[in-house]
Amino acid sequence: MDPFILSFAVVNGLLQGGIYGGIALGLSLIFGVLRVVNFAHGSFLMLSLYLSFWCWNLLGIDPYLSAIVTVPAMFALGYFVQSVIISPLIRRERALVVEPLSALLLTCGVFLVLDNVALMAFGPDVRSVQLSYYLPSLMLGPIPVNIPRLIAALAAILVAVGVSFWLRHSHAGRAIRATAQNRDAAAMSGIDVPKVYAVTFGLGCAILGLFGALISPFIPATPTIGLAFGIKSFIVVVLGGMGSIPGSIIGGLVIGVFEAVASQFVTATSAAIFSLGLFILVLLVRPAGIMGKA
Amino acid sequence: MTVSTIPLDRTAPVGFSKGPALALIVLLLAAGLPLVTQDSFFIHSAIMVLFFAYMATAWNFLCGYVGQLSLGHAMFSGMGGYVSVLLFTTFGLSPWLGMIVGGLAAAALSVVIGYPTFRLKGPYFTLTTIAFAEIVRIWVENTDTFLGFHIKGAEGLVVPMVGESFAAFQFGGKIPYYYIILGMLALAILATLIMERSKLGYCLKAIRGDRDAAEALGISPTRYTLTAFAISAFMTALGGSFYAQFFRYINPERNMGTELSIDMALMSIIGGQGTAFGPLIGALILTPLAEVTRGYLGGTFLGLHLVIYGIVLMLAVLYFPKGVLEPLKNLAVGLFRRRNPA
Amino acid sequence: MSNHRLQRTTANKSNLLTGALTFGALTFYASFAFAQAAPTVTIGCVLPLSGGSASVGSQTKVGAEIAVDQINREGGIKSMGGAKLNVVFGDSQSKADIGVTETERLVTRENVAALCGAFNSAVTFPATEVAERYKTPWVVVGAVKDEITERNFKYVFRINNKANYDAREQVDAIDLLSKETGKKPKTLGVIYEGTDWGRSHAANIKKFASERGYSVVLDEAAPPNQVDFSNQLLKVRSTKPEALIVAFYTPDHLILSRQLMEQRLDVPFGIHSVGGGTEDPAFYKAVPPRAVGYYFVQEDFQIDITEVTKDPMILEADKRSKEVLGYPMSAYTAQGLSGVYVIKDALERAGSADRTKLRDALAATDIKSGPALATGYQQIKFDEQGQNTHAHGAISQNIEGKRRTVWPAENRAPGVKPSWPVPTWSERPNS
Repeated sequence: MDPFILSFAVVNGLLQGGIYGGIALGLSLIFGVLRVVNFAHGSFLMLSLYLSFWCWNLLGIDPYLSAIVTVPAMFALGYFVQSVIISPLIRRERALVVEPLSALLLTCGVFLVLDNVALMAFGPDVRSVQLSYYLPSLMLGPIPVNIPRLIAALAAILVAVGVSFWLRHSHAGRAIRATAQNRDAAAMSGIDVPKVYAVTFGLGCAILGLFGALISPFIPATPTIGLAFGIKSFIVVVLGGMGSIPGSIIGGLVIGVFEAVASQFVTATSAAIFSLGLFILVLLVRPAGIMGKA
Repeated sequence: MTVSTIPLDRTAPVGFSKGPALALIVLLLAAGLPLVTQDSFFIHSAIMVLFFAYMATAWNFLCGYVGQLSLGHAMFSGMGGYVSVLLFTTFGLSPWLGMIVGGLAAAALSVVIGYPTFRLKGPYFTLTTIAFAEIVRIWVENTDTFLGFHIKGAEGLVVPMVGESFAAFQFGGKIPYYYIILGMLALAILATLIMERSKLGYCLKAIRGDRDAAEALGISPTRYTLTAFAISAFMTALGGSFYAQFFRYINPERNMGTELSIDMALMSIIGGQGTAFGPLIGALILTPLAEVTRGYLGGTFLGLHLVIYGIVLMLAVLYFPKGVLEPLKNLAVGLFRRRNPA
Repeated sequence: MSNHRLQRTTANKSNLLTGALTFGALTFYASFAFAQAAPTVTIGCVLPLSGGSASVGSQTKVGAEIAVDQINREGGIKSMGGAKLNVVFGDSQSKADIGVTETERLVTRENVAALCGAFNSAVTFPATEVAERYKTPWVVVGAVKDEITERNFKYVFRINNKANYDAREQVDAIDLLSKETGKKPKTLGVIYEGTDWGRSHAANIKKFASERGYSVVLDEAAPPNQVDFSNQLLKVRSTKPEALIVAFYTPDHLILSRQLMEQRLDVPFGIHSVGGGTEDPAFYKAVPPRAVGYYFVQEDFQIDITEVTKDPMILEADKRSKEVLGYPMSAYTAQGLSGVYVIKDALERAGSADRTKLRDALAATDIKSGPALATGYQQIKFDEQGQNTHAHGAISQNIEGKRRTVWPAENRAPGVKPSWPVPTWSERPNS
């Protein structure tokens, strides 16, 4: 294989992988703390894409600036979904042990409602932000690097570092980590567990709010766009280790580069089969993922 | 887990004695339906309800009793459909035999997939089943011939019309199809009832309750769950064959897609998983609900029926975790007790 | 005919019976009340109104509704004493079984005189079989699978192209432009979604390409709903096809077109898209105009029809489409409009809503003017299999921000000069 094409593939893979990783962060965080597999993860991203689009379309807000709107809005939505829809389930189960399957089903219901409410409200048409300015590609030697994608990929790493730091060093972060480790003990030491859950869920969605704004310059909004990213996020999170923040980024980069390089040898459909196969293999051989504790 | 088995035990004797009798009455009523009306659309809708009830029952045979959520069952349905159609179009083999072959193939596939994956817990198992089904679907969509069979990729397969013939599974009217799917459903429910009372059923319950304890008692979780998985896949494949023969057209997107898997699971869960009649109740509620919202609102509010599906699912998970069959049963028991004070 | 009436009355009686059991009674009474108010002919249209193809379905729906409004405003079906036309829709969700169920409903519950639809070949194929069984005429709108009009059916008519016409036309256009300029690409690449539509188109392209002496250097399928095409574009870069045939729907096509521009990937003889995303007006609202410069688009619709037609109904439909959908008439809107006008034409000639008479009238269709030709055909006339033999697509090129028809040469407006080969990215203004 031509070394130029191969290095081009690796660059593409790293960019796309960073974006996958950033989008998967929220899924991993929510699972790590609540043990809830959020089937509606992609739907939240879809909503933030729409939000960013409407900010630009109706209010003329630049998609990057629209993060000021999307991040708090998605936090609020996440907080609401957790405290109104999922928390009754947690309250019902004794000792705050959520039956993972019930939570999965519940978020499956959220997914059906959100995707189809979006279809009803926004119609089936594809919509997309158009930047008023032109961001030229950065030339990495002979390889063009798309600036908006680079911004999103770098933001993924920054957010991952920021969230890890916040979880480690802030009071709220410590409360979240304590709850993740042992909810009963956390509750007994005075931590408001339902609130921690709602904040965590909100935070997971707020990260999606940010990425919705960051990818809106190059990813169109449709009512079904969530599913494509949702499935990718599951693969990334399983690969990196469910619940691990750095794992999410590493999982994203691995799957991004893997797909980019594999695609040069086989068709995209076969590459899709390979990455699903990789996903199954990781679950069977090392369910904790690359970064998870085995 | 032990807490939740108490209400089950309380109603169990009622279900045991009245269940089969009630089932027989329902079956006779259903069998008599074409005598009351031959209206084609009504019969067609009834076939769709029975078809989904059958598919949900097949799903429930494994997932309802083992407590694992599979969202990949569509691959077995697709496999059943494809095998029976290909054997018919290539060798002229009667679909009645072809569907058995398809069922056995699906059962074999389920064992291959199930053996390594049943160790996975909860959502991990669910995600694996989705991944397996997607691999099968994408592969079929992009493969034209396999082992000399023309599987025609995403185009799907058409069953050629050969005229009315029992052996070819082709009938002029809809009523024969109605009785076939009704019979299949009755057999599937019967199989579930027998399983519930067999060693397999008790072992599955034990495994669901506490896998480690069951293992300590000498129950092999792998053996029993795989048996249930194989039977469930077999039944699902027969349903897939029925679909192929009834519509005389199948394609990977619909017959192997995740949506079909989700439908099967939703009906079973909303009706009451782990009960013989729950999936039927689920299909009786959800299929007409989808049809009515689609028929009267679908043209105006795009996707409204799926919103309603989602809301029903959320309400069911939150308020009827054992499905709507349980409260319905309690209601019936309550009425029964009031009439015959003990 | 009287026999047919009889059947219908009995159907209505059993409607009452079962309608109470289902919720069918609701529509029955509604249509009953309607029927007393004014003579009405109901036609049905099965379309994907939710799910992946919802955008296409809703555009076709708008086209059909515009046609019905126009017909009723102009005095309805004149040969039937000014009977009003009424259209009811069924949502197939792009699924065969649901399309069939909706067809059953429209035929038996709504008593439609004729049906149209259903865009997806996977739905149209089994659903038309139901129509044939009920002896209800079905006018195929949008579905291109060849076999739909190769089954000796009596009640199925297709206005638009078969799948293999689309591929042939694309290669024809490349041949024509090569002949006109003396510059001919030697290699083709084909990149498409791995679905029924994409795969069958690619297979047809490969067949015609080898017949006409082009070598296909890239044959790449991708599952629909990609979020990144950089890997596929890198393959284009390494295999260097001189012209690229593309078959994707709107979201995929949007990402692909953007990335082609971002990566400044030059394909000397241009991008040749076969409808899909590039015939969806929403696509053009969402894509940066520069990204689709010089695109060749094959579609079952002459995109600049409003500049060449004088038909007031077509011009009005274009205006109405802008009001309702926010963009001009598209291929999908035009096909919905055309389908209803073809049925209306047959109703006029049959003078009755009787399905058998309507079928005979449809079989004798020979339309040479009027809004039924909104898609840009010169004529609509069905062969014994029900295929409109005068169907043809048109291929436009996006020249200086306007999509102008370049193929067939006779549809080319005066002054339109195709750009062949297309300028490289660095030669294009403001980039």
